[in-house]
Amino acid sequence: MQTNRRQIFAALLAAAAARQVIGADGTAIPGKRPMILHNDRPEDLETPVKYFDNWVTPVDAFFVRQHIPRPAAIDAAAYRLNITGLVSKPLQVKLADLEKLPQHTLPATLECTGNGRAFYTPKLPGIQWGRGAVGNAEWSGPRLGDVLKLAGVDTAARFLEIDGADTPVMQTPDFVRSMPMEKALHPATLLALKMNGQSPDIHGFPARLIVPGWDGTSWVKWVVRLTPVAKESGGFFMNPGYRYPKYNLPPGTPARSAELEVIEGMPVKSTLTAPEDQSNAVLGAIAIRGFAWAGENAVERVEVSTDGGARWQNAQLSAQKLPFAWRLFTLNWTPQEPGYYTIMSRATDTAGRVQPIVPPWNPSGYLWNGIDRVGVTVEKV
Amino acid sequence: MTRTVLLWLAFALAAGAADQATIAQGQKQEQRTCLPCHSLRIVHTNRLSRAGWNKELDKMAGWGAKYTDRDALLEYLVATYGDAKPVAPPEMTADGRK
Ligand code: HEC
Repeated sequence: MQTNRRQIFAALLAAAAARQVIGADGTAIPGKRPMILHNDRPEDLETPVKYFDNWVTPVDAFFVRQHIPRPAAIDAAAYRLNITGLVSKPLQVKLADLEKLPQHTLPATLECTGNGRAFYTPKLPGIQWGRGAVGNAEWSGPRLGDVLKLAGVDTAARFLEIDGADTPVMQTPDFVRSMPMEKALHPATLLALKMNGQSPDIHGFPARLIVPGWDGTSWVKWVVRLTPVAKESGGFFMNPGYRYPKYNLPPGTPARSAELEVIEGMPVKSTLTAPEDQSNAVLGAIAIRGFAWAGENAVERVEVSTDGGARWQNAQLSAQKLPFAWRLFTLNWTPQEPGYYTIMSRATDTAGRVQPIVPPWNPSGYLWNGIDRVGVTVEKV
Repeated sequence: MTRTVLLWLAFALAAGAADQATIAQGQKQEQRTCLPCHSLRIVHTNRLSRAGWNKELDKMAGWGAKYTDRDALLEYLVATYGDAKPVAPPEMTADGRK
């Protein structure tokens, strides 16, 4: 949404208030457990890996990523979703109208495009995410296609432009995205009104996009406008933001802007949740655990190594093999000797994609999916 | 956070980098120009080269940041959050569940 002068003034007041708490530790974020704090205002919060032992990530532990200040609390009764552009009748849709459409529930993994940025060398500007800008939730709401049908989409529309209620400050770009109509009309693409059966709150109340398998930045929060358009659009956060080089670059070198492409589906990836990195364990049975996901595909296999990648064995996977949603993996390991062990995990998806040892460095630090690793010291009691 | 900043400042000075007055002036610039749009943690968690910080200052200026002493600001950022500086351990929020 565009900013007006009053909003700018409000942001300046907020800035003045925030100035007093800059650097203060232990800020509490309403509704959230203790999270890794990457930024206070707007909030950027990472999930500590130790919270990840469930297939469904609870709302109170789910990561938060914001580019521009969060909108003021939205009143459900006053909320309107504007459908404009290449449609037969422009509409203002109420929350109650969205609730009347057939509701669907889809488990899907949401990952920030920059999850793992901190692992790239040379370093890149941006939020220094480690391993926790990802989560798996059950999203419920109408299909985006059913919402658009209310207004009737023109056949000339090739892309859908989406705007959230968040508003920029000064000349900061607004957060507007677009995606090909084909993905917008995909039966799994939802306008979620619920997250794990609850209000999505900070995650986009009252309505957020669910774009299964695509990068987090496509999943626009607080959706207030849908506009079918003829061409890709969306401003800074579509171009140059959130693009990835078509050809891999030598680390530390700039990309040719003509060779940057919009990121869509996410790569295959796995994350170890136990043992905790650089922890100690007692010689005996040790459970190795984690989760793996693969964008629009399902996970086929996860292999684990306990000797720094020399030998690999298959981990056990949770039964549900779904596209879009992660699978949990476990391996029961009984080391024979004490000492320091490097444990690694490597996922393969249903399309045969495998996690690399070295993910390609890219100028914005997106799509880190290197083989995961933790170190553990095994001790005799 | 402030104490960490001071420690790094001391380190930068010992290493004979930019002089203290310039760095102090740069920190004042930061307080004055960087806060309207976001808190400073998003700045202080980055570790960038001089070229990297220079690019960030251009990017922020394009979005409306106004500097009265850009040079001092750049010296301060390079001296305090340069790419050779160690990464500080992450901070945790307090429990926000009631
Ligand atoms: C006009 C608003 C505005 C001002 C003023 C501003 N910034 Fe930013 N800055 C932003 C926005 C918006 C982002 C986040 C962009 C995103 O999340 O993609 C950002 C992000 C950053 C980042 C993270 C890397 C990146 O490029 O996303 C750094 C570092 C940064 N700002 C430094 C500064 C410094 C230093 C100042 C003061 C000189 C400053 N900013 C002032 C708007 C501003």
